[in-house]
Amino acid sequence: MSDPRNRQYTNGEITVFWVPSKCIHATTCFRELIEVFNPGRRPWINMEGAPTRRITEVVNKCPTQAIVWKNNEELTPEELAQQHVAARNEVTPETLTEEIEKTERPERVKPTNVRIMKDGPIVVEGKFRILDGDDHELKPTLMTSFCRCGGSKSQPYCDGSHRKLAFSDQIVDE
Amino acid sequence: MSDSNTRFKVFTGGPLEVTGHFRVADAAGKIIENEGPVYLCRCGGSSRKPYCDGTHKRNGFAG
Repeated sequence: MSDPRNRQYTNGEITVFWVPSKCIHATTCFRELIEVFNPGRRPWINMEGAPTRRITEVVNKCPTQAIVWKNNEELTPEELAQQHVAARNEVTPETLTEEIEKTERPERVKPTNVRIMKDGPIVVEGKFRILDGDDHELKPTLMTSFCRCGGSKSQPYCDGSHRKLAFSDQIVDE
Repeated sequence: MSDSNTRFKVFTGGPLEVTGHFRVADAAGKIIENEGPVYLCRCGGSSRKPYCDGTHKRNGFAG
């Protein structure tokens, strides 16, 4: 828990740990359970949004373990201390307002950001719409990753398959 | 979210079409496109990555 960006969220029963450096934006969590995992909201994990069993089910599907969970009885003293720090940091209205300003206001004027990750997916942030080949609107989000390697099992989104396939941006002559 | 005109269209078995108000950056953060439409490869086989070059028609991509 040394990265200062790491966060933990609790509903009193379990704690969900969020390690941003491990996240590849596979988008599994928020496509499955937007009531709890919503990148457009701060804090982005709302532990009151679903029953514990449903939360653990979705956390277990994270392909990179960027989110993991623990029963509160199993927390180490260090994690328990973090719990109190996290609680203090997140309830103040000042912090919330600041976070909301940062995350929501720029998107009204700024263009949608599309990033081509090296040997990885297309990561999109901002406000946008997604349509399938028949012009049906797909579920709106504030962040998503599109598969670029062709191998994802949850097309059109990334599921981390590019790693298994060793997808490379290098162009191979046939 | 409906106030944004950026649109991603996922062509079945084909590329990702991007239109509207957006910018595309490469892995180093350099802006490579800022107006559309742009067609990005989804099949993994293009020789013009990240752009589509029609390879999906030949490599059996169905996603």
